[in-house]
Amino acid sequence: MGLILEVKNLTKKFGGLTAVNDVNFEVERGEMLGLIGPNGAGKTTLFHLITGFEKPNNGSVFFDGIDITRKKPYQIVNLGMARTFQLVKSFHYLSLLDNISVACLSSRGKEAFGKTGIDEAASSILSSVGLVDKARLPPVILPHGDLRKLEIGKALGTNPEMLLLDEPFSGLVHEEKEGISKLIRRLNDEGVTVFVTGHVLRELMTLVPRVIAMHRGRLIAEGPPQEVANNKIVLEAYLGRGEGFA
Amino acid sequence: MMNFQSDLQSLIGRFKIWVRTFRGSITLFSLVGLLLVPLSGNEYLATVLVTAMIFSIFAASWDFLAGFAGQVSFGHAAFFGISGYFTAAFVEFFNVHWIVSLFIGGGYAVVFSLLIGIPCLRLKGPYLALGTLAFALILWNLFLTGTWLGGTTGISGLPSLGNIFIVFYIIAAFMVASLIIMRAIVDSRLGTILKSIRDDETCADASGINTTTYKLIAFMISGFFAGIAGGLFTLHLTAVNPGAFQTLYSFYAIIMAAIGGMVTIYGSVIGAFLFTLLSEFLRPLAAAALLIFATLLILIVRFAEEGVMNPFLERVQDVWDFIRRR
Repeated sequence: MGLILEVKNLTKKFGGLTAVNDVNFEVERGEMLGLIGPNGAGKTTLFHLITGFEKPNNGSVFFDGIDITRKKPYQIVNLGMARTFQLVKSFHYLSLLDNISVACLSSRGKEAFGKTGIDEAASSILSSVGLVDKARLPPVILPHGDLRKLEIGKALGTNPEMLLLDEPFSGLVHEEKEGISKLIRRLNDEGVTVFVTGHVLRELMTLVPRVIAMHRGRLIAEGPPQEVANNKIVLEAYLGRGEGFA
Repeated sequence: MMNFQSDLQSLIGRFKIWVRTFRGSITLFSLVGLLLVPLSGNEYLATVLVTAMIFSIFAASWDFLAGFAGQVSFGHAAFFGISGYFTAAFVEFFNVHWIVSLFIGGGYAVVFSLLIGIPCLRLKGPYLALGTLAFALILWNLFLTGTWLGGTTGISGLPSLGNIFIVFYIIAAFMVASLIIMRAIVDSRLGTILKSIRDDETCADASGINTTTYKLIAFMISGFFAGIAGGLFTLHLTAVNPGAFQTLYSFYAIIMAAIGGMVTIYGSVIGAFLFTLLSEFLRPLAAAALLIFATLLILIVRFAEEGVMNPFLERVQDVWDFIRRR
């Protein structure tokens, strides 16, 4: 299958705080990888660094063999890596259909959907995330669960090879979490590589076969979810015992 | 050829549907009313309405940039003035036909919109507004203190386009065409992208949109139409001077768009007509007029946050529906 993402010695400092500290890991094409860590572990900063929203002080990121460390976010999206945000982002005054259409109008989206028609593609994506009956509504009136689906839909509009989902279960009730889990699993079955974060390991346990754990900017464990869940260092990071990971 | 014919037929079909709507019929009715004004033979009224029509294009160009692309400019007079100067220069010094000069002037406004846009697009919100204001002030001072292109007196004595009624119809044609083109752009795919940048630039970036390029496109389109307004203003007055760059013009555009209703394009027409007619009506009151005008503006902004056009049309539609039910 081969590697789709390589993160090498990635470091990001904000003044005196090292948010991401010499992080190294790889993702196989078609894999579904989870990233866990307590609040403030550096998960979102790591996502920002990979997707170009922050520039690292040191280290590099390779996507599909291309060095994307200094590339701009839209360039990275057009190479095939799309993302969602921990705090849901949408175009408030556009309809759901137009929200997806914007992504379909990216260079990569146009390449994939230009021939079939942007509106048809956007409509089909809305249908695949279960929002087609709300196509003409603006996002501001949607419940949180639907906004999470919309975010995934927007990412799909760019025809991604890899999807980075930042805390997709955050703020959702059990049924909504189930729905998002099913959607993520289906996308992965369709060949999209998925890299997903969560601060509660339980949410990712049944979803991903491999997990990496972060604490205070460093990777502290890697392996199958059950193994990482029982890892002494991970438990201490979550329960706040010990100071050994700085 | 077949495609063109089917596009034209679809356009005509959409126009017929639009005319039958309440907004379509009231727009058409108002436009016909406006075009009948010269038949009254009232030169004074025609002159005032010519200014209002030019300001409609100018205010709509500001609404295009701020309302649809989210890029607030306090220096729109820069595009207005630059085009005014270049239009006048090409007519006066190179004997170029006025219509060609007008588009050359608009072209220069596009070039200057890039010169302003490229450095200013790194700025956001109030900083962008102040950056554009600074550029307009620089241009104002350059044209005021420089001896080139006429210095303080500018360029005057341009050939007239004809009598005021001919000018009226020329300006009316430019206004209608400019507004339709701007509205068509904001309703197109390009408009959807601009609106997405306005709503959330980070989200647009994450959707694979090169926001810098699209913001520059918005600056160029807006600059072009502001330039067309500036060129028409110069041709109408047969003169231009550094006053065309003054900050007051930039704020006129903002006030007119705000009065009519932002994020509408067509609201700018209502705003420009109200603004111009009110200014003219209050002129005899001299200094007191400014106080009354300012108070009226505050009241409009306070009680009609979304401008007067949409609430007014909704009320008229309510009355119309009521009459039809009776």
